[in-house]
Amino acid sequence: MAQIEEKPGERPFTTPPLTHEADKTAVSARNFGRILGAVVILLLLIGLFPNLVPGNLNERFQTFVTIFLGIFIEAVPFLLAGSLVSGLIEIFVDKASLARYVPKRAVPAAFVGALLGFAFPVCECGVVPVTRRLYQKGLPVSVGIAFLLSAPVINPVVLASTYVAFGWGPVLIGRFAFSILIAFIVGLIFQFAPPQEILLSVDDHSHDHDHDHFGMAVGNGRVQRLWQAMTIAGDDFIDMVRYLIIGSMLAATMQTFVPQSTLISFGSGPVTSVIAMMVLAFVLSICSTVDAFLALSFVNTFTTGSILSFLVFGPMVDIKSALMFLGVFRRRVVLYLILLPLALTMLITIFINLNLGW
Amino acid sequence: MKQTIKNILLIALGIFLLSRLLNGTLSFYIHPRFNGLTLLTAVGLTALGIGYAIQQRRQAAHAHEHSNEHDHEHAHIHSHDVSWAGLFLLSLPVVLGLLVEPRPLGASALQNREINIGTDVSLTSASAPEGSELSIVANAGERNILDWLYLFQRSTDPASFNGEEAHVIGFVYRDDRFANTQFMVSRFTVSCCVADAAPIGLIVEWPDTAVLTSDSWVEVTGTIQARTFNGIEIPVLVADSVLPTETPSQPYLYQ
Repeated sequence: MAQIEEKPGERPFTTPPLTHEADKTAVSARNFGRILGAVVILLLLIGLFPNLVPGNLNERFQTFVTIFLGIFIEAVPFLLAGSLVSGLIEIFVDKASLARYVPKRAVPAAFVGALLGFAFPVCECGVVPVTRRLYQKGLPVSVGIAFLLSAPVINPVVLASTYVAFGWGPVLIGRFAFSILIAFIVGLIFQFAPPQEILLSVDDHSHDHDHDHFGMAVGNGRVQRLWQAMTIAGDDFIDMVRYLIIGSMLAATMQTFVPQSTLISFGSGPVTSVIAMMVLAFVLSICSTVDAFLALSFVNTFTTGSILSFLVFGPMVDIKSALMFLGVFRRRVVLYLILLPLALTMLITIFINLNLGW
Repeated sequence: MKQTIKNILLIALGIFLLSRLLNGTLSFYIHPRFNGLTLLTAVGLTALGIGYAIQQRRQAAHAHEHSNEHDHEHAHIHSHDVSWAGLFLLSLPVVLGLLVEPRPLGASALQNREINIGTDVSLTSASAPEGSELSIVANAGERNILDWLYLFQRSTDPASFNGEEAHVIGFVYRDDRFANTQFMVSRFTVSCCVADAAPIGLIVEWPDTAVLTSDSWVEVTGTIQARTFNGIEIPVLVADSVLPTETPSQPYLYQ
């Protein structure tokens, strides 16, 4: 009797989380969407009936919405631009020429990937649809990952803003050198994994487009192809904007409820300052084109290594970009894409703090 | 059906951004330097929605003419199907934006940041790096809160500002740590969007704090006194008058 009673009591507690954990990849995006939907409906209810919740929470909801819209409005132009580039790539770049320009051997390939940002000046929101499109065009996984991680920093706009903020010095040089280095290393690591275990299975539409691409060129010419590029850009945008919205909401939630000053006051040592600044970069989710100006305000209170960790790690991975990675990679790969840059950035910047008096 | 909703949502998002830009509330969310970019985006999103709609109508007409054998050819130009969850998410920025009245970050956000007044360096996180170019407003009466903090942080002798006249605008912030005769007149500094907003403030000495409501905007006139808190010299504003005022159209200060 006792045994029978125990079992039903235990089950509801233990089994659901277990299946959740074990079957991570099997949990469909739809399920994820449903859970999220429930959360959002709850938030909407709070918004609709503000009297039902304590005053403080209502104010926090207001703060949440303001920060959410701030992150979203700031990021959405860059996502749109990235989608546009993606649409143009789909129509005007063919697989053969891409294959011709990308080196075959692993080391030069990852290196090219890390420097590709100069060819496609996009920031962390725009880079995701572009990378996804390049993968569909047959770009090697390692090159794409190196590009994905480095492009938000390795481009003229970010170079300029970092120079304006910090001038010529260790921060500027370190930011660019370490971004390239880390992107290169992570790209190389992924060189050894089979692509089908890394990328989400691409639906039939890339095949479809190749097909039309052919037909269209014969048919209605340039205008039609541009029209088509716009359609693809729009599809890409709508596909990725979901992740951006979820990511912005998560970031806004963190900002509304996690006290920032605790984090900041916690970090002054060579190690703790790096951790604090990396957590801050992850949570803030601000665009790489402007983060240098924010980092500037921490210069007096934080170690140079930690400022560098903020400027190197933040553009590679933050809440909103990690969410957007989910539209390209398998979940486990997204986890590695967070952890590898995290570990490498920490290693480098803590070393700087301890051994070099920058 | 879903396609139509998608088009409507795209256009709605475009119009939403445009309306926030036109009525000036966009500056509650992001730095004004993004205004041009936001305008482009609003136009782009609206164009995208209209473009999709035109395409669908053409396709419908086209599909009518042809038989089913060309099916695959239509499939390509069709934009993709979106899930209901996707549509729902796409609607969120507009829905939440319309649901919650646009308001700049205020005292409640400051509370969440648990800012520590006076003793915490993060209070002056708007600090300039050594040797950076900064034009300090020469006329004391025109300096804003940020200018005063800059000035104090960079000065070797903050006491030399004692008695200078100050005139600043900000929102009222109070918590348990304040004496009855003190409050803080605060602003947020923003370098990109509200995600990086950092609170700054001047401590105001004013006998009649009981009538002040937290988060309301006030115009404070008085004189500056340097006080020492935990070894840091900070400016304290001894007020002659504290008057309620409208929320400024640019609620944040920009570095």
